[in-house]
Amino acid sequence: MIETFRQVLEQSVARLSAQATMYLPSLFVAIVVFGVAWIAALLVRWLLLHAFKGERVDAFLRRTGIGTMLDHSGRLRASPLMAHAIYYAILLIGLLNAISVFDTDITRDIVDGVVHLLPKLLAAGAIILGGIWLAQYLGRGALVWASNEGFPWARRFCAFVRVVVVFVSIVVAADVLNFARTVFFSAFLIFSIGAVVAACLVLALNHREVYRWFASSRGRDAETGSERSLWHHL
Amino acid sequence: MSDDILSPEARQAIEKLGQADIVIGIPSYNNGRTIGHVVRAAQAGLNKYFPEFRGVIINSDGGSKDDTRRQVLEAQLDPAQLLLVETPLHPVHRLSFPYHGIPGKGSAFRMIFRMARDLGAKACAVVDSDLRSITPEWIDLLVRPVVHRGYDFVAPYYHRHKYDGTITNSIVYPLTRALYGQRIRQPIGGDFGLSGAVLETYLARKDWETDVARYGIDIWMTTIAVARGFKVCQSFLGAKLHDAKDPGADLSAMLQQVVGSVFALMIEFRDVWMRVHGSRDVELFGFRYDVGLDPIPVNLDRMVQAFVRGEADLREVWSMALSDATLRELGAIARAARSAPAAAFRISDELWVSVIYEFASAYAELPTARTHLVRSLTPLYLGRVASFVNETRDMNAAEVEERIEQLCLAFERLKPFLVERWGGPRVDEFRPRPAPAAGKPQEVSS
Repeated sequence: MIETFRQVLEQSVARLSAQATMYLPSLFVAIVVFGVAWIAALLVRWLLLHAFKGERVDAFLRRTGIGTMLDHSGRLRASPLMAHAIYYAILLIGLLNAISVFDTDITRDIVDGVVHLLPKLLAAGAIILGGIWLAQYLGRGALVWASNEGFPWARRFCAFVRVVVVFVSIVVAADVLNFARTVFFSAFLIFSIGAVVAACLVLALNHREVYRWFASSRGRDAETGSERSLWHHL
Repeated sequence: MSDDILSPEARQAIEKLGQADIVIGIPSYNNGRTIGHVVRAAQAGLNKYFPEFRGVIINSDGGSKDDTRRQVLEAQLDPAQLLLVETPLHPVHRLSFPYHGIPGKGSAFRMIFRMARDLGAKACAVVDSDLRSITPEWIDLLVRPVVHRGYDFVAPYYHRHKYDGTITNSIVYPLTRALYGQRIRQPIGGDFGLSGAVLETYLARKDWETDVARYGIDIWMTTIAVARGFKVCQSFLGAKLHDAKDPGADLSAMLQQVVGSVFALMIEFRDVWMRVHGSRDVELFGFRYDVGLDPIPVNLDRMVQAFVRGEADLREVWSMALSDATLRELGAIARAARSAPAAAFRISDELWVSVIYEFASAYAELPTARTHLVRSLTPLYLGRVASFVNETRDMNAAEVEERIEQLCLAFERLKPFLVERWGGPRVDEFRPRPAPAAGKPQEVSS
């Protein structure tokens, strides 16, 4: 019994020692690779933060409204944005290289998966970012129009437009990633039908207010005799 | 430039006429009720004051559904009524063609200018087709400075009711004057005299398909004439009375086209206006006299309500352009307006100037938000008009003019802040505010 136990223990130790002999150098190399990548990432980030002014990118972010979209304070600058983006990109490349050092089926699958998924992830990210920008733009247009028209729920209308546009962009991004397509498509249908029903309910419950707004806006056009003509503004 | 802005019929007419000295252009859209009078006045003006010149009246029509074009072609003038001293050497031709392109006054002008240039005109005058107060003297006053005194651009000068021309009085006149340093009182008056040289400059430009095609055309013409250094003067035309019919646009669209054009030209002529300090008078021709004016009704409550609603709804948009201090002042005014009567509503000159300058700067800085920014000015503009109505309720015409002069001086005084902050990011405070007195609550401009 004791002999059997000793044999099992010896075999286990031998297996462990064989695995350690096989994987420890790889682990060491992986740690070194990742460490080098990390140091390179830190160095590049430091360089970018100190050498790259990015005034043109700053102006672009500000002029297109992307800056305020990503950071509401409007103080987002291109230099830290680029520096952090490149820092994490180098870290990711280092991590993938470190994993690939092991050269096993699992690590190969992980690296292949990330390499194949990355373009899709970037595309999905760009779609969502574009969707948020478009939602901001269209929502703002809806807000200005509704307010100038004297629409009673201008801000809610603006929020509704934004939610719809962002939701559509999420559905498209999920489709690109091939992720929960059916779920998102069903949710989109339910949301659309729900929005129509909600709009009908709002109109039905507030019909007096809606009618008053409609009548006053029509009246504004019709009663030019008692109101200033538009010519009088010029 | 491509020939497609002129129809084959228009080109044929040019070939047939060959040459003209003076062209009178009349843009129209469903103005059958009034355009006959305008054409007769133009014809009488050419016969009476320019008998030795070849004159052509060109109507550029935007596809009227009524009998506008027929009225132009059939307008008859009885020469015996004019008591002409000199018999005209040449008959006055009347032409009417539909224009192509974006529907609007600017596109109509483009066709007129193109025809005037092709006819080799020395001078061109444009007048609105819905004028009830035009007389033959208007043609003389708009054309003579060009033909006999060498001016390139003649702007109109009218007597108007104190509540008439509020975009002119509150934004366009003070801003144009502060920017370019010339006191052209009616920069978007709509009736102008032009030389062949200035027409060439207009036609050579590439921005005809923008807001210029619509109501932006008047300020576009005036600004280019001033900024390009053409010789500019004004002519006193008496009263300007329009047909009561509204143009087919809403206020925010009209404001966008006019103010958007001013802001867009500020970007183009940045190097010109940044060098200008103060302003000077522009020569005024014509005999000035007082005239009776139609009263213009105003709905003060509605304007104040629009401002209060805009302040509640549009903060998000305004905050893209306005500094924190300006937003705070506007918020305080809106809060006060909710409880106080509309007759107490006020927006100070300094605050209004800051609003306009900050919007102009943001317009240059944020190209993707331009339409929203300018359209969101509508409630602010209505608030300023309400304030102006309150301030001038008991004033006569001279006192109102003095009040407008004060606003113009405020625009000129605060211009250095615009120059300093032009095109830069939004700031916390656009102009320095006086510190509140100790122990006394800070006053807001209401």
